[in-house]
Amino acid sequence: MHSPTTSGPLPRDIQTVVVGGGILGLCVAGFLAEEGREVAIIDAGRPEGTTTNAGSLHVQMQSRFMRMHPDQVPALESGLHLYPKAVEFWFELQRHLDADFGLKASGGLMVAESREQLDFLAKKAERERSLGLDSKILDRDELDQIAPYLGPAVVGAELCADEGRLDALKANTALRRWVRRVGVMVTGETSVDRVSRDGGRFKLDTSRGTVRAATLVIAAGPGSLTLAEPFGLTLPVESEPLHMNITEPTDLFIGHLVQHADRMITVKQLSSGHVVIGGGWPADLSPSEDYAAVRLSSIIGNTSLAQHIVPAIGRLRIIRTWAGINTPTGGPGILGPIHGAPNAFLAIPGEAGYTLGPLSARLVADTVLGRRPTEDLAPFSPSRFR
Amino acid sequence: MKIEFEGEALEARPGESLAATLTAHGIRSFRTTERGAERGVFCGMGVCQDCLVEVDGKPNQRACTVKVDRPMKVRREGSGRAPAASGPAAGRPPITIEEIPVERPQVLVVGAGPGGLAAAYAARLAGAEVLVLDEGSAPGGQYFKQCSAAGVAPPDAQHQEGRRLIDDVLGSGVTVRSNASVWGAFRPLEFAATKPGGSFLVQPEQAIIATGAFDRGWPVPGWTLPGVMTTGAAQTLWRTARRLPGKRVLIAGNGPLNLQLAVELVAGGADVVAVVEAAPAVGVRRVREIAAMLANAPRLVADGVRYLSTCRRAGVRLINGSVLTSVVPHSGGLRATIAGRETASFDVDVVCLGYGFHPSNELLRALGCEHAFDPEQRRLVTVRDTRGKTSVDGVWALGDCTTLGGARVGQAEGTLAGFAAARALGCALSAEAVRLEAQAAADTARHRRFQRALWRMYRMDESLRVRPTGDTVMCRCEEVTYGQVEAALAEGATSPSEIKQETRLGMGRCQARYCGPALETFLAEQTGRSQDETSGFAPRVPVKPVSVGDLSNPAGA
Repeated sequence: MHSPTTSGPLPRDIQTVVVGGGILGLCVAGFLAEEGREVAIIDAGRPEGTTTNAGSLHVQMQSRFMRMHPDQVPALESGLHLYPKAVEFWFELQRHLDADFGLKASGGLMVAESREQLDFLAKKAERERSLGLDSKILDRDELDQIAPYLGPAVVGAELCADEGRLDALKANTALRRWVRRVGVMVTGETSVDRVSRDGGRFKLDTSRGTVRAATLVIAAGPGSLTLAEPFGLTLPVESEPLHMNITEPTDLFIGHLVQHADRMITVKQLSSGHVVIGGGWPADLSPSEDYAAVRLSSIIGNTSLAQHIVPAIGRLRIIRTWAGINTPTGGPGILGPIHGAPNAFLAIPGEAGYTLGPLSARLVADTVLGRRPTEDLAPFSPSRFR
Repeated sequence: MKIEFEGEALEARPGESLAATLTAHGIRSFRTTERGAERGVFCGMGVCQDCLVEVDGKPNQRACTVKVDRPMKVRREGSGRAPAASGPAAGRPPITIEEIPVERPQVLVVGAGPGGLAAAYAARLAGAEVLVLDEGSAPGGQYFKQCSAAGVAPPDAQHQEGRRLIDDVLGSGVTVRSNASVWGAFRPLEFAATKPGGSFLVQPEQAIIATGAFDRGWPVPGWTLPGVMTTGAAQTLWRTARRLPGKRVLIAGNGPLNLQLAVELVAGGADVVAVVEAAPAVGVRRVREIAAMLANAPRLVADGVRYLSTCRRAGVRLINGSVLTSVVPHSGGLRATIAGRETASFDVDVVCLGYGFHPSNELLRALGCEHAFDPEQRRLVTVRDTRGKTSVDGVWALGDCTTLGGARVGQAEGTLAGFAAARALGCALSAEAVRLEAQAAADTARHRRFQRALWRMYRMDESLRVRPTGDTVMCRCEEVTYGQVEAALAEGATSPSEIKQETRLGMGRCQARYCGPALETFLAEQTGRSQDETSGFAPRVPVKPVSVGDLSNPAGA
């Protein structure tokens, strides 16, 4: 699908401008508009730029990542408490909007194929429990009771009760309708090239003219890097193009978010019956670096691993693949005010950003509104990167 | 041979498609959708994914592509069966791309229709090593499809002409692989394919794309009902298995193929109640076109005259300047209504829709070949030179997948592209090859002139296009109606991608082949925006659904 022709009129002078219309930008803008703020979203309108999420609700730590980067485990743990709260917040938002996101938090299984992998998961689960997560280890017999769809290669798994999935299409549609309803102006296909101070206001030079705003929220994923530079920040954000696959629909039979102790994969079945296979396989950046293209080796490797773990997937056909751009931050997210730049804020959620999106947006919106956010944002402060 | 359908034994002709067997026994509904709608054969060529049945416990098999070569147990399908119950106990070991075998022919031809076969023959004649991949169960494509069922009437002239071409190709040392689905193309020049039970890759030096076209949809109320099928589907039933789609048939569309179908079905004993042609009747004002057609392809004109007189003799009503406006179920069959110059209703078993074709250009677009938008035909045209060279190095394209021209144009263009690809490899052409190449260039020009005159004559009055009602289905797979699309527009969605997200339109198994063009037309009408080469849905791999089991299984292993 080619880029949308959603370019509405560009506001010239507005109270609050949010750069980026992904999950963060939409939610921040919606929360602010609900409080009576005059808000505009400006999005570069990249083809598929906002579709990295495939609807996983992640809570537990990635054991593969922990084994590869043991030095980064403390950073991972420092932000862990946010994840179960973020899942809970998705449900709250669904109620608040009276919408159907296809949410289901029936737990996530991280499967092990060897005793050694399972032992690692056991230590991880113990650590997670001490940090407040609902995690436990299941042996093969216990797995057969709750997940008979797993193949014989699986010897056991960690079950994290808070994990689950949602239908990202449904959620994004409901969010888009909500922000329109509360009066947010949404302008697509407009890139913000430069941000500067102009008296007491921000001046945004865009591909379609100049916009002035009293308050600026940067929620532009990897594009935040250049936008934050004028404020003396060097953000460790990257563009990570990721690959996803989806099968034809079938009766519901996979009840969990399925991951692997030592390999990149997520498998889940949406309420519509489609099985989504993803989990971090690489895609390619286009030469212009503004969109991602699927990679043949990822289609084969990713789906082949899926049918190894869940054999019945071998019977299904892949009907679509896509690629999106993920924004790793090398640790917890970057949320809150930019110190030394009054009325400028950053909103980048970090690892599993879609799961964290709405809650992160709520926290940032609260700081914008001058309220005390429900979480201490110190570990997420943009000042880390001054 | 006997097969079993829902516990009932049915007589089948060995070699025919499962769809042909079921149709011959009056079974038109093959499955029930998630919303409780009945579906059966629509495209008859593996594109629409509507005729899915369960075969020997395997779900989601297209009845139109399953060959009856053994006794089989067939069941109707709901929206999909729980594979957990019937799936394999163990998967295959996970593999990486390195384990998939790679073939490196000098020339790869995708598609074994008239154009692909001609291209393969020419390239081989010039000395190149050629591999042809075709998703059909036998070479021939749509136009030269052969009779696959045993023990039926002898082949007709069109069968025989195709047979000669197929035999020439096979005899020339070209490798032709049927049942091979090319599901992806990747830059710079790599193709991913499956054959039954296995996955393989092809990295050719030169690639010739000859993937043809598929029948356009005609979204009116009732166009998804079992018994409503494309003219191509009905013709496939007849030409491959000598099976009639039904006893009483109405054919509605635009173009001469509908007349040919009428003649074939009449010969088979069907009662064709009428052929409803959207174009006005041919009058004296068309003398210039007729002269041009006679000058360029007198035999095809003679065929046309013969079709008309056969129809008249058989009492088939020929109605011009009118179109199908709706189909409703009616006392075990269908009631079809037409409007235009003539308003009428017909009670029939089957309605055939032949409203033109859409090019199968997915592989070309995936490779990044440049396309232009043809506003009159409302479809993309592949940009190429007179030898079929596209904007991408090493990629040649010909025939109906580039722009519609029919089998004759495709075959002549195939010869040109085949020789050109061989030249690009450094092959020297013999005097005979040079003569054939010049002949093909002349044939291409001649048949293009014929086609231009033909379609001037068959130009339909645009005001006859039916304004679909709100409950008319636009997207067959996800069952999205025009009303839902209108509602999404009212909610503020403006782009195809937003409509897709809001309604799931275009996200089903057929991969937006029918609803994509319909949405484009609808948006252009609603918003007044003009279409161009960038509007609509971008091509995505896989270009055809591909089984995970096949993907995970290196071919030959």
